[in-house]
Amino acid sequence: MAESLLKVIDVYKSFVGVQALKNVTFTIQPGEIHCLAGENGSGKSTLIKIISGVYTPDAGHMELNGTLYKKITPIEAINNGVQVIYQDFSVFPNLTVMENLAVNSELSEHRKFVNWKRMRLIAQEAVKKIDFEVDLDEIVGSLSVAQKQMVAISRSLLFNTKLIIMDEPTTALTKKEVHNLFEIILKLKERGISILFVSHKLNEMYEISENFTILRSGQVVATGSTSQLDRKKFSFFMTGREFTERHFKAESISAEPIFEARNVGIENSFSDVSFTLRQGEIIGVTGLLDSGRTELALSLFGIQQIDSGHFFVHGKPAVIDSPKAAMAHNIGFVPEDRLSEGLFLPQSIADNVVISEIDRLTRRAGLVDKEKRSNEIVKWVKELAIATPNPDNACHTLSGGNQQRVVLAKWLACNLEILVLNGPTVGVDIGSKHDIHGILQSLAKAGLGLIIISDDLPEVLENCSRVLVMKAGKIAADLDTGKTNESAILSYMM
Amino acid sequence: MNEKLKSKLNRISRKNEPYLFLVLVGLCLLIEVRSGQFLTVNNLVDIASALIVPGLFAIGAFMVIISGGIDVSFPALASLSVYTATTILLSIDYQGGVWLAFVIALAVGALLGAFNGLFIGYFRLPALIVTLGSTNVFRGIMQGGLNSKQLATIPPGMREFGTSSLFTARNPISGLTSRMPVAFIVFAVVLILVFLLLRYTMFGRGIYSIGGSEVSAHRAGFNVVRTKIIMYVMVGMIASAAGVIRVSMMQQLHPTNMLGMELRIIAGVVLGGTAITGGKGSLLGCMIGTLLIVIVVNSMILLGIPTSWRSVFTGALIIIGTGVSARQVVSLNSRKKFKFIFSGRRRA
Amino acid sequence: MRKTLFSVLLLVFLVSPFLFSAGQAEADGDYEIVIVPKDSSNPWFVRMKEGVDEYREETGLNVYQRGTAEIDATLQAQLVQDLIAQGVDALCVVPVDIESIEPVLAQARAAGIVVITHEGAALENVDYNIEAFSNVGYGAFIMDNLAEAMNYEGLYTTMVASLTVGAHNEWANAGVAHQKAAYPKMQLLESLPRVESHDNGDIAYNVAVELFKAYSDLKGIMGTSSYDAPGIARAIEELGLVDKAFTSGTGLPLDNAALLESGIVKSLTLWDPAEAGKAMASLALKVLEGEEIAEPVDLGIEGYNAMTFREGSDKTLEGEGWIVINAENVYDFGF
Repeated sequence: MAESLLKVIDVYKSFVGVQALKNVTFTIQPGEIHCLAGENGSGKSTLIKIISGVYTPDAGHMELNGTLYKKITPIEAINNGVQVIYQDFSVFPNLTVMENLAVNSELSEHRKFVNWKRMRLIAQEAVKKIDFEVDLDEIVGSLSVAQKQMVAISRSLLFNTKLIIMDEPTTALTKKEVHNLFEIILKLKERGISILFVSHKLNEMYEISENFTILRSGQVVATGSTSQLDRKKFSFFMTGREFTERHFKAESISAEPIFEARNVGIENSFSDVSFTLRQGEIIGVTGLLDSGRTELALSLFGIQQIDSGHFFVHGKPAVIDSPKAAMAHNIGFVPEDRLSEGLFLPQSIADNVVISEIDRLTRRAGLVDKEKRSNEIVKWVKELAIATPNPDNACHTLSGGNQQRVVLAKWLACNLEILVLNGPTVGVDIGSKHDIHGILQSLAKAGLGLIIISDDLPEVLENCSRVLVMKAGKIAADLDTGKTNESAILSYMM
Repeated sequence: MNEKLKSKLNRISRKNEPYLFLVLVGLCLLIEVRSGQFLTVNNLVDIASALIVPGLFAIGAFMVIISGGIDVSFPALASLSVYTATTILLSIDYQGGVWLAFVIALAVGALLGAFNGLFIGYFRLPALIVTLGSTNVFRGIMQGGLNSKQLATIPPGMREFGTSSLFTARNPISGLTSRMPVAFIVFAVVLILVFLLLRYTMFGRGIYSIGGSEVSAHRAGFNVVRTKIIMYVMVGMIASAAGVIRVSMMQQLHPTNMLGMELRIIAGVVLGGTAITGGKGSLLGCMIGTLLIVIVVNSMILLGIPTSWRSVFTGALIIIGTGVSARQVVSLNSRKKFKFIFSGRRRA
Repeated sequence: MRKTLFSVLLLVFLVSPFLFSAGQAEADGDYEIVIVPKDSSNPWFVRMKEGVDEYREETGLNVYQRGTAEIDATLQAQLVQDLIAQGVDALCVVPVDIESIEPVLAQARAAGIVVITHEGAALENVDYNIEAFSNVGYGAFIMDNLAEAMNYEGLYTTMVASLTVGAHNEWANAGVAHQKAAYPKMQLLESLPRVESHDNGDIAYNVAVELFKAYSDLKGIMGTSSYDAPGIARAIEELGLVDKAFTSGTGLPLDNAALLESGIVKSLTLWDPAEAGKAMASLALKVLEGEEIAEPVDLGIEGYNAMTFREGSDKTLEGEGWIVINAENVYDFGF
């Protein structure tokens, strides 16, 4: 057996009383693609930082290229060929591609002066390593997410690199871009470079990695060959909970549609989209990132205005040209990026829950009825099982999944009939995802009509009664989820 | 090849400087048409002379804004350091050249700049809060500690420096003369040095990098704290040099009449296309923006604007200046969106 | 480490003002009379402070001057409010801006504080307002000096600190009226009859440069603020207009000795701010002691010993305190 590139042996790390890592051991061989998985807070980031020298372990040691390190400095890590590509890619959006590519290596050589010709040569060398075609004089801020990632990857290859750690690299990528990324990873593997691929998406793990390690509460709960892993085991290792898949079966669907879109469209985004939604139904809308699904979602809540076609609510024509108008028709909306769009993070959980029904809680003088307010808050925190010791805590103290529940609570609190959710579980870990799905299904059973916009096909299949597949701004297919599967949907999307 | 040329043209059209330059030319022509006095040698020399002090301040403000910070303390800082230098020289009855005034003022300026840098860089406090505070501290030291008052006479070296000229321009028609002060050389040298510093040293690129993303700069290996502190020290020194020049040119020292300049200076820098959020902007644009402000402020009589409307006019200029920057951010975002939608169409 | 250093610095900051101010002890006396100038660094008001300090030493009263760091109407109003809260007995104010100080002075009077102003004839909420002279008289006096320099002919305009400074504009108006009556060969620049210097020599200079450029036949600028004439003089010198263009206006002797001696400026006009400061304090004392204020009012100070009420006013008292300064007498005043 060849000698390991990296061995992490019995590593412990704690922060002010919190044990972040406990007895962590795993190895990476040269040219191996290894997936590191775990829920938020499982210790993934801490482990990355220990390998790259940002943190010093309390106990245990590492072996890099056969050399034993009790602790390692960031410089030693780089000299041993370890490179980290963070989720934000650590690029400078204001500078050119060339400078972004060259600056790190210039700094590592302790240069004091800038030679732009040398910078260009370095940059050319970097992009050549992965045959990345880009205009070196373009400003990085105007590149797509995938291109920024390529910049970060080619930059990391300038340093005699042996191991690249990628922290959730697929989060903001489209399916095609993910595919490209995987091709590059395979090319790097051919060159003998190992990849530590940090992810919590099972299908990606299957597709790209040979071996995996799953962390839970700072401990390695499973490690081995990816081929021996299945969905059920994966979920169990990640969360420590057993889940039974609950395929949504619509019950008590109303005879008349509560909402209808007839030939609606926005120029340059989507056109001629028609569908109906009945009480108790969950319909899924899926498609590639640029298929028009996002714009459709936004138009349902009046954030973007349709310029052709009509909406009907309870069979009557409805003008939805603003969120206020949508709310007047009892339509709610849960945005995609819950962090920036859905919540006032520094405000209390309680305030966030009641913000959209503030009119109802206001007495005639314009003052908020305190008693009504607190009753309402207690009700929703309980109903949605938001895990907080005190609803007056700021929202950002909550975990991602709990934040998502606050967003739900916020909209449910105003007696909705129709709820539009744009990517309801983006960036949410498995446990919370499962819980959110449960909530959505029970909402439908309670008589709401739901529209879920999502590119997570298993999610759509599990939770929706029907799925509309969008392609290039049009509805390509309207499928019964009971009679279709992932590959069929994909064939309509592409 | 064609594609490459296209993207190059595209990039140039996205730059601010060409538009700004057009605005500048337009303004000059307007003043010329209204007064017939703008494009005369002596007026151009007057404008160049009036640019020296605001220009130096703008260079300092530009560096700070590029790094993602903001500095409103430079007029107070300059006042304090030049006041210290002048009173020391007066008290020892110094008869030598102006260099000693620069040395003392620059030393004090470096110290005061380090004060800003320490709080902003090391303690990581917001730059606006720190410099608002240090404005008051500097002014307080002058008022309370040094008991400042107007000095009608300044040391002979400074007086001589302020009145010596490179050349004198004479308008053959009106017979009016204007001196090009020697201090213009100081401004030109500082401008060139800062340009080289920002373009050709890792320190300068560090300032841009920090303005783009402080976290990324740290991860890339820049010493963010040190870079910031050194930068604020440099800015303090540049502002102090401007203070010495201003007092020398005025032939008297008024401890408070530089205060309040910061708004116009920052407006000029922003007008020149420097993003208030940091990281983006060029020294050339910054100078054009400052020149615009200087010309407008010094041409309102030539333009025929009534006295009572002067402040409205400068105020409007400041709003436009900052408004332009805000628009940039908005249009950048919408451009991204459009690009995205169109590329989507194409693929389909 | 960072936190410790931060705390130490914070402590130093909090303590330092006490170290600086430890030397200030207040004089004792029955009445507390405070003079509030436009600012505290302008030599005009530094000179006023000398008079106030002298008056304190002569009389032993608790009279002192306190000003803001820079000329700012809002800051001055705040300072006056602070002094009201302190419960002083009399406030003698040289107002920066009439409109913003008026309501504050009303508060002072409501609190039973005696209010005396200087250069504030338009104010209503005062006990008395002192003018070293009638504004009409002084404006005409400046015009006489400017006219003499201009050889009684040519185009001129006027400069004030700002269009809202009451006294400056009254002088300028009176100067213009006097010119129309007495010097028919002179003409006011009708298209721009008044410009502002914001009490800043650099602005006065830049505005003057522009004026001479825009109006090639402009021969004179009448200054009012003490920054005007020196700034204009610098412009005259730099533009090569010495003996072709002229200025006159208020100015302190020693500050302008070089200008007067070189002949760039022929004469400046003035009253002594030290005397004005004393006069305010003296009048405040009279009011506090309940003396009747009837013409002619004698404040026991030169130029202020036979003051009369301005026509149509029972509040504004005018003296005859103006003086002319030229190359001959510039060193005679000691300030």
